[in-house]
Amino acid sequence: MLRDAVLVAGKDLRIEVRSRVGLNQIGPFAIAVLLLFGLALGPDRRVLAPASAGLFWVAVLLSTILTVQRSYAIESADAARDGLRLSGLDPAGIFLGKASAVAAQLLVLEAALTIGVALLYGARLSGALVLVGACVAGTLGLAAVGTLYGVVASGLRVRETLLPLLFLPVVAPVLLAATKAWDEALAGTPGRAGGWLDVLVVFAVLYVAIGIVAFGPLLEDG
Amino acid sequence: MSTPPRAVQSGRAAVAVALRVLGVTALVGVAATVWLGLFVTPPDEFMGNLVRLLYVHPPMAWVAFLAYGVASLASLLYLWPRTRAERFDRLAGASAEVGVVFTGLTLVSGSIWGRPTWGAWWVWDPLLTTTALLFVLYLGYLALRRVPGELHVRARRSAIAALIAFIDVPIVYLSVEWWRSLHQAPTVLNPTTQKTYVHGSMAWTLLLGFVSFTLVYIWLTAHRYRLAELQDLEDTEGLEAALAERRAEAVAG
Amino acid sequence: MNGYVEAGYVVVLGTLGTYGVTLVARERSARRRVGAGSNKARNAAGSGTSAPAGSGTSARAGTSVPQGDASAREHRAVEEEGPGSAPRAMSP
Repeated sequence: MLRDAVLVAGKDLRIEVRSRVGLNQIGPFAIAVLLLFGLALGPDRRVLAPASAGLFWVAVLLSTILTVQRSYAIESADAARDGLRLSGLDPAGIFLGKASAVAAQLLVLEAALTIGVALLYGARLSGALVLVGACVAGTLGLAAVGTLYGVVASGLRVRETLLPLLFLPVVAPVLLAATKAWDEALAGTPGRAGGWLDVLVVFAVLYVAIGIVAFGPLLEDG
Repeated sequence: MSTPPRAVQSGRAAVAVALRVLGVTALVGVAATVWLGLFVTPPDEFMGNLVRLLYVHPPMAWVAFLAYGVASLASLLYLWPRTRAERFDRLAGASAEVGVVFTGLTLVSGSIWGRPTWGAWWVWDPLLTTTALLFVLYLGYLALRRVPGELHVRARRSAIAALIAFIDVPIVYLSVEWWRSLHQAPTVLNPTTQKTYVHGSMAWTLLLGFVSFTLVYIWLTAHRYRLAELQDLEDTEGLEAALAERRAEAVAG
Repeated sequence: MNGYVEAGYVVVLGTLGTYGVTLVARERSARRRVGAGSNKARNAAGSGTSAPAGSGTSARAGTSVPQGDASAREHRAVEEEGPGSAPRAMSP
């Protein structure tokens, strides 16, 4: 299973490095989201700075949707599932591989967004350990759920509209916990983020486990 | 389609009668709840007449979550190889559709209660917020069910999606509750912890409300289930008519 | 104050009532269509006349019925269980 996972992850990441869609499209999208939030909430840093954590994570959530859709689009267009199914790889490995690739891309994006948030909203970065911890745990959960729902939606004509609808409500706890953890870190009280980090870890572990089990059957359908 | 054996026909008739009885009972129960709730029970010392909404809003919420639980259980039974049957997929879909109606009503009734009580049409109460997310989860599930495809493919896909979402609900609730507890609003604004002394006729009316609306849920789900059955049958027959035509054409031509 | 209470009751009862009524109506029309469809199947098998295949736009069962039929058709062709399956599915 792990070998297949590494294979799939490697393939996905190599495609990304070569095509640079994440870099050229999803990245700028995320920056645009930050800018638009800035426009929406006004130039006053006293409003933006406290909201930085939430806005950061909403931007991450939206970018996850795009990253997952891209992850499935790179399988040969509409025969996406057939390609994966017939490859003879362990489905759980495919799941872990795809989710890992998505997570890796998201982490890179988050690094950029962190700088963006500090720059645009005047967020004062502190509690680096908590910031990074929340990013890692949160992103794993997001990638797991995204990859799972991504395969459900991937063969369908309505995939572009269905995936966000399925994905966003389920990851609401990640948004909540990650934002709160970041809030504590940015406010200079990273010690209080412990519980929220626990939530993120539990969520990630839970949905990675579910993914390992459920991905195979979902892949076979349709 | 050959006429089904008599045993099945009388079985079906028995179910129809049972449903009729259930429907009437539910209707009577709801009418009694409304009458008691609006006219017989006294106004509350704190909330005044607003307490009357308490006979309706909590039952709505209870059914919303019950329906979700039933849909999830049915999904699980469908996925489990030993209990796999089309009827569970149908039950899941039926319960989900009825559930989404009740969830919407939970939000609306909660909002109507909230406006005079807390001065706002919406508050980020843990239960209400979880219900709002439940509403969207329902809608996603129903949207997924509508995507065309082979019956068992659609059924399995929907069942797995339902369980993925179901596991999330307690996590959502606990997270939101904790999130809210950090912004401890004064207790008068916190509706779930507000202690209303529910006594005598009010308690009975509340209980009646829960029971009656649960019966309504069962009745609606049963009918929705039958509708789904009929629709599946219709599709089958349409197919058979087409196949029979083809065969006839092949023979003739 | 009372206005809110009444509004609440009206909305809840009205919505549930409307939903219940439309549900029963949909069920009735579906039952009619099913009866008619079985006749068509019998006629088509008997006389070989071209009757319109598959009535009904089932609102819930699938949005694009033709696509659903096409894949289900392949499914049925393999199975060919026929009408025998229907009564079994119906008895709860």
